[in-house]
Amino acid sequence: MIDIAIGFSSENNSLLAAEEAVGQAKTRLKSRSKIDLGLVFHSFDLSAPTIAKTLSEHLEDIPLIGAAGAALMCDRGVYKHGLTVMLLGFPEGVYCSTAVARNIHEKNPFLGGKELAEHLLYGFKNIQRNFGFLLFDRLVEEATSFVSGLQEHLGRGFPCFGTSASSYADVSKASLYYNSEVLTDGCVGIRGGGKVSFGLGLQHGWRPIGKPHLVTSSVGNIVSAVDGKPALGLYEDYLGLSGSRLTRELRKLSASYPIGLLIPGEQEYLLRNVISVDERGALFCQGNIPEGATVRLMISTKETCLEAASRALAEAKENLANAMPKIAKVMPSRFAIVFSSFSRYNLLRRDIKEELSLIKKSLPGIPIIGLFTQGELAPLNAGAYHGQIYFHNQDFSVLIIEG
Amino acid sequence: MFAFNIILAFLGLVAAIVMAFVVMTKENTANTLRNEVSNLRRALDEMDEQAKLVVRTDIELNKAQEELDKKITGLYTLNRLSRSISSTLEESQVFKRIEPAHIEDLGFTKALAFLFSETERKFILRLTLGYIPEETERIKSFMETHREGLAKLLPAEKTLSSLAADEHAFVEAVREAFGVTFFVFAPVLPKEGSPGLFFVGTDKQDTAITEGDEELITIVANHIGQALENARLFEKTWQAHQNLEKRVEERTKELSRVLEEVKKISQRKNDFVSNVSHELRTPLTSIKGYASILLSGKLGVLPEDVYKRLEKINKHSDELVSFVNELLDISRIESGRVDLKLAPYDFKHIVEEVADLLAVQCREKQIELVTAVDQLPEVLADYSQIKRVLINLINNAIKYTTKGSITLRAARHDAEVRIEVQDTGCGIPEQALDKLFVEFYRVDSAVNQEVKGTGLGLALVKHIIEAHHGTIWVKSKVGEGSTFGFTLPVA
Repeated sequence: MIDIAIGFSSENNSLLAAEEAVGQAKTRLKSRSKIDLGLVFHSFDLSAPTIAKTLSEHLEDIPLIGAAGAALMCDRGVYKHGLTVMLLGFPEGVYCSTAVARNIHEKNPFLGGKELAEHLLYGFKNIQRNFGFLLFDRLVEEATSFVSGLQEHLGRGFPCFGTSASSYADVSKASLYYNSEVLTDGCVGIRGGGKVSFGLGLQHGWRPIGKPHLVTSSVGNIVSAVDGKPALGLYEDYLGLSGSRLTRELRKLSASYPIGLLIPGEQEYLLRNVISVDERGALFCQGNIPEGATVRLMISTKETCLEAASRALAEAKENLANAMPKIAKVMPSRFAIVFSSFSRYNLLRRDIKEELSLIKKSLPGIPIIGLFTQGELAPLNAGAYHGQIYFHNQDFSVLIIEG
Repeated sequence: MFAFNIILAFLGLVAAIVMAFVVMTKENTANTLRNEVSNLRRALDEMDEQAKLVVRTDIELNKAQEELDKKITGLYTLNRLSRSISSTLEESQVFKRIEPAHIEDLGFTKALAFLFSETERKFILRLTLGYIPEETERIKSFMETHREGLAKLLPAEKTLSSLAADEHAFVEAVREAFGVTFFVFAPVLPKEGSPGLFFVGTDKQDTAITEGDEELITIVANHIGQALENARLFEKTWQAHQNLEKRVEERTKELSRVLEEVKKISQRKNDFVSNVSHELRTPLTSIKGYASILLSGKLGVLPEDVYKRLEKINKHSDELVSFVNELLDISRIESGRVDLKLAPYDFKHIVEEVADLLAVQCREKQIELVTAVDQLPEVLADYSQIKRVLINLINNAIKYTTKGSITLRAARHDAEVRIEVQDTGCGIPEQALDKLFVEFYRVDSAVNQEVKGTGLGLALVKHIIEAHHGTIWVKSKVGEGSTFGFTLPVA
């Protein structure tokens, strides 16, 4: 049975916050002296170097990974300011390895993915690989390529789940933790294996509105033309706002009205937020949109967002129930890692706590740790994984781990 | 062959007719489909137009919802912030209670607070949130440059924000200097002490502020002003309290010193009175003794005139001895040299004894002496001293009463017995009542010109009663009589 303990602090002082959170977690994990892994999530306003130093002093050689985010959640609530630490102690037969890939931009992202995979595989010979958990530090235009490199080494059947942990206000501001190191322009990962099961669920709750449109010119995440006209026209038409106003406000507005990308063979739309607009009216999106793709404007309400969270939770529980192999003669323990898009946080505003209430209602008594992020990395349909991983915006994703 | 050709032509005609029919039918179908496609396209376009309306309405609703949420969050934040800054009464702590979370919940990312020093004519920075030191220095320089313009906001009680269209140049200058897109400057106006300015701003491009934000920040600034005012008033009150305590302490010391002086002087007076009285008593005893011998005729019969004068000498010697004795008694009681022989006594018995003793004098003046004494518990008293008190009070009543009665009452009140001597005499003027128990005081009245007295009797009575832990009082009205009362503890 996995030993799980969570500590939380809302202290303004980074050192005190780290000490308080890790202290709480260690106290709660007293039944077992061995700690195998630490996870840390905190808000951007805290100092990452101070936190890393403090945690490494307390955890010594225990592997630690984590990230900063726009807000965080744990069993106690949703916080725009704070720090939460999860400590895990694994039973016999449950394995995990951590790894890091640095300076991804300088390298080929594909090679970066391969490098991370090699590190993750180290010491995992003849052990069943169950899932990968990744934390990026930016908006991951290269995510697809990076994951391809990862999967080439780990196998396409190997499911990955992760998030981009950059700041909404400042995409260059990011902090990833790898043991005592704080890094940017990288990716840290965990690979879980052995007698451990997982269930993944993700949904966004946005619905298409208006007629389909054809992307007539795009390169990577830059969409220059839709239906043969400057791409900004799509928003001008639907939102009825001037180009100059949209140039200022589209980043915020697109969180409510993202672009929906219909993927052939998939049921669900993949969402793309707009980060910025250039003077020609081209849209810079948070994730790639291929030329020739059919896109729709998407819309949602608070209700559909919350319904999506409920569906994602149900999906994760169902996937966990179907997971193989069934393990353990003793009652296993569970914990959940949640990544919710910060756009959802802005949309739900004061009702964001309802999202946590849904999680707690769906997973009663299960320790929860989560981060509000800028994009999630997961299969498009968690229940029907066929080897393709996408970079999502606006999603609520939950990973339940049992062991 | 001809027939075959005719048949063939006929068949061709039929085929042409069928073909024409088929073509016509197909054309009709195609037209129908074209119409349907056209209809569908039009319907799709119409639905797309409706979608645009839905999206635009949704934007408006979202905007309204966002404003509402912002206001609710703002009010909650205002409540938390007000409670936080009101919970301190130290001026330096008021600004420290404003936290980044408060500013963020108000919808801003940066905050500054300045107090304006009238003497130095400059803004002094008291709060910085969201700025690094280099930025703060730049802002200080801006405040110095625009000092007079910004100071004008204070008496005008004017809030200035990035919404101000008529202050375009200044708004742009603030944007640049403070590194913000939207901002609000609100005056902090406490009734006491320096006023100030509260600044909040955001560097987010897409978080436009509204008039509602401006109003909310003005309210926050008012709360800060109120908190500063409370802190300053408290500081002032505390300082005044400290000064008062210091002065009370100084006065107490001074009074203690004076009291010690008075005690010493009083002791010296008592010693003097005691010594003088002793010295006076010895020659007085001799005078009285020789006068008695001469009056007894043992040294021969005295002429009538000499006898009369000797009698006066003897009488005045008695009065002088009594006066000296009273002085001595007061002196002894004051200096604590008299040990009261306290014991339980039946007070009724003392009353009866005194009544018997003074009955003759009352009869002589035709004054009725009435005793109204309840069944009493025993009192803890020095028998001879209490008897002396009663005699003194009844004697006084006899002296100042020409007709009527003297009533002596005694009754129990809780743990003490209350005794009253009431007469129907001339009464005492109200202004004299306070001084009546002071040594040597005698009421300045026509009656007192005739009634002799030393002014020591009532002073002695007061000393004796207080030595018994009792209290003494007097009530009187001129022409209606007087009542002297005192208490004694129940044994």
